[in-house]
Amino acid sequence: MRISEANVGQTYPPTPPYEVSRAKITEFAAALGDSNPAYAGPTPIAPPTFAVVLSSEAWGALFADPALDMHLRRTVHVDQRFVWDRPLRLGDAIVAQLTIEKVRARGNSAFVTIAVVLTTTEGERVCTASSTLLHTWPEENVA
Amino acid sequence: MIVTEGLELPSLTVTFTRTDLVRYAGASTDFNPIHHSDHAAAALGLPDVIAHGMLTMGTALRVVTDWCGDPARVLTYYVRFTKPVAVPDDGIGAAVTFTGVVTAVVEGVATVSIDAVCADVKVLGSATAEVRVD
Repeated sequence: MRISEANVGQTYPPTPPYEVSRAKITEFAAALGDSNPAYAGPTPIAPPTFAVVLSSEAWGALFADPALDMHLRRTVHVDQRFVWDRPLRLGDAIVAQLTIEKVRARGNSAFVTIAVVLTTTEGERVCTASSTLLHTWPEENVA
Repeated sequence: MIVTEGLELPSLTVTFTRTDLVRYAGASTDFNPIHHSDHAAAALGLPDVIAHGMLTMGTALRVVTDWCGDPARVLTYYVRFTKPVAVPDDGIGAAVTFTGVVTAVVEGVATVSIDAVCADVKVLGSATAEVRVD
């Protein structure tokens, strides 16, 4: 078994809540060399692409599903899209839920498009992070 | 903010060193060894340790947020990771230059097309952000 068009629409349970902390916002902004004052002060927001810290947690569901036969080490990140409803803020408790949106399988590889929706534990949608992943299986596994 | 099509945003040049990659790995929790291990990068046939695509994507957005000031104005952002940014352990690192130009302004939302160039090679494709400018 491996991922195919038949898996499109499949949704996985959300990740456990992740609390956005001041220390993590500061650390992420520093890693981008970004001294924007919005990331400091009494009510900081997170840098926009901080959303990937949460969305990539949800990718684990793909690699944990034996029916998909996907492995992180065989996966290349092809593209990334973010659509924000609002910025991630200090104190947000966020869950991330992954849905398989599109699968294009060809030979021993597949382009897999996933959408991860980030929602507060109160149910407010904050961001949708969509990614195309290119997964390649070893030659000997080609059917 | 008065923004019109064709406006060029101030460019940004950032040099990534191995230390920057390790710092981003920790901040993002992406510890894929191709971003810090020569051995792991070579095993995948890569020319060198490569920067996280998300580090390049996140840094590129600074062209927009440094310009507009408030990162909360950013509504959408898309990139394709077209070429890896090789980061040698040579005490110098890899310089990437980011530029942005406004390609449309519709109902208070500007579309910014971003370019990221390392050693004369475009490393991001179709990089586009939409940002509120009203």
